[in-house]
Amino acid sequence: MHIPDGFIPLWQCAIYYVILIVALYFSLNWARKNLDEKAVPLMAVLAAGIFAIMSMNMPIPFGTSGHMVGGALVAIVFCAPEAAVIVFTLVLLVQGLFFGDGGITALGANVLNMGIIGGVVGLYTFKGLRKPIGKYPAIAIAAWLSIFLAAEAVAVEMWLAGTFPLVQGLAAMGIYHAFIGIIEAVLTVVVILALEKLRPDLLAWNKNKNLGEQKPEPSEVAAK
Amino acid sequence: MNGVGSVRELEKETDKESPLHSMDGRIKLILLIFIIVYAVFSTQLLVMIFLEIYLLLLIWISNVSFKTTVTRVLLLLPFGGFIILFQPFIHPGNIIWTGPIFGITMTDAGLMWAALLMSRLIVALTSIVLLSSISPMQEVVESFRKLGMPREFAMIFSLMIRFLFMFYDELHRISHAQKARCFDAFNKNLPYKWRMKQLGYTVAMMFLRAYEQGETIYLSMASRGFSDKSKLYHDKKKKIGSREYIFIATTIGLVACLQILAMFLFHQWGFVGMNIV
Repeated sequence: MHIPDGFIPLWQCAIYYVILIVALYFSLNWARKNLDEKAVPLMAVLAAGIFAIMSMNMPIPFGTSGHMVGGALVAIVFCAPEAAVIVFTLVLLVQGLFFGDGGITALGANVLNMGIIGGVVGLYTFKGLRKPIGKYPAIAIAAWLSIFLAAEAVAVEMWLAGTFPLVQGLAAMGIYHAFIGIIEAVLTVVVILALEKLRPDLLAWNKNKNLGEQKPEPSEVAAK
Repeated sequence: MNGVGSVRELEKETDKESPLHSMDGRIKLILLIFIIVYAVFSTQLLVMIFLEIYLLLLIWISNVSFKTTVTRVLLLLPFGGFIILFQPFIHPGNIIWTGPIFGITMTDAGLMWAALLMSRLIVALTSIVLLSSISPMQEVVESFRKLGMPREFAMIFSLMIRFLFMFYDELHRISHAQKARCFDAFNKNLPYKWRMKQLGYTVAMMFLRAYEQGETIYLSMASRGFSDKSKLYHDKKKKIGSREYIFIATTIGLVACLQILAMFLFHQWGFVGMNIV
C-alpha cells in the first residue's frame, strides 16, 4: 500500500502534503489539549511498536502473505483519528527515509491513506456499528473497512496520477486488500480483547470507569 | 519491510568515515531529497541516467559498499516494480506486440512510461540508501529539528528512533521463543484460526509492551526533570565548511546543467532524451 517516489506527479504530491500539514497541525493540537504529559513518550514508543508490528509477515488464505497496518487499531484505542495521524506520519517518515518503503515525495499521500483514511474510517465505523452489532464485530468491520478503503484510495490516487487505470486499479487493490483486511480485522480484535483483559485502563472508552487500579506487573502480563 | 538485520546493518554503515559521513546532516538531507524531487519532476531517461551516475559517484566517495547498496535497492524494487510491470500493457499508444491470449497488447508509450517509472524509482531508492548509509538516524532527526520541524514532533520522532531498536530486539526474542516451540505461522498443517490467534497475541504483547515501556520511560524521564519544554536532542554545532559548499555547488550545478540540456539538447538524442508523458 506504500506508494513509492515517482508514481505521483509533483503538483499532486504538493496537494497531499498540504493535507498532511493541516492534519498534523490539528493532531498536534489535539495531543496538547487531550492527552496528559505522558503523551510524548507514549506516542513515540507506540510509533516504534507499530513500526515493528508492521514488519511482521502474516499468512493470508490462498498462499500469499501480508502485514498488519494498525491505523484503525491506534484510532480505536485512543478514540481519536488524530493519534493515527501522528503515529503514521512518524512511521511512514522513518520507513521512507531509511528503508525506502514508501516515497518521500509520496509521504503526504501515504499518510492520507494509512493514517487519515485508516484512522477516520476505522474509528467512525466502530462508533457507528458499536451499538447495533456489538463492540467486537464493530471493531472487526471497522478494521477491515479501514484497510479496504485505504487501498481503494491508493487506486484512486494512482488513477489521478495517470499511473494506473481506475477500474483495474480498484479491482486489483480491492480484491487483494479484502484478504489483507481479514488479517487486520482478526488481529485488531485480538489486540483489543487482550488490552481489555490485561490493561483495560489503556482503552479510551474505559478512561472514565473506576477500574480499581488493577494494573498487572509486566512479568505477570508476559506470563499470561 | 525490513527486519532487525537491516536496521543494525544500516547503523553500521553510518559508522564509516568519509567526507560525506562527516558533512553537516542538513546539507545531506536537503540535497538528497532535492535529487529525489528533481527525479520525480523530470520526464527524460537520460536525466535519470546522469543522476544515477552522480549518486554512484557519491557512494564511491562515501566508502559505502556497492554490493550492499545494489542489494538494498534490488530488495526494495518489488514494492513499486509490481505496478511498473503492468504499464506496457495498460498505457495507450502504438501497439508493438499482441499476446496470444486475452487480447493482451504492449504499447511503445507504455514501455517508455514503465522505463521512466523504473528509472525514477531506482534514482529515488539509491538516494535513500545513500542517505541512510551516511547519516545516523539521530542525525537526520537533529537535521529536521534544525530545519524547523515542530518541537513536540521532533521530540516524538527522536524518541521513536531510540526505541525502534529495542522493539526489533523484542520482536526477535518473541520470534525466537516461538521457533523454539516449533511454531511457524506459515505451517499449513496447523489450523489457520489458531495461527492467527497466536499472531494476534504476539501483536498484543508488542502493543502492551510498547505502552508499558512508554509509561516506564515517562516516569524515569520525569524523575530526571523532564517536562514538555525539555530538549531531548543534542544541538551539536557543526559549521558549514568548504566541503559542504562544494557538495551544494556540485549538486545544484549538475541539476541546473541537466535541466538546461533536457530543454535544449537531450530531445535530439533519440528515445533516451525524449520527454515521456
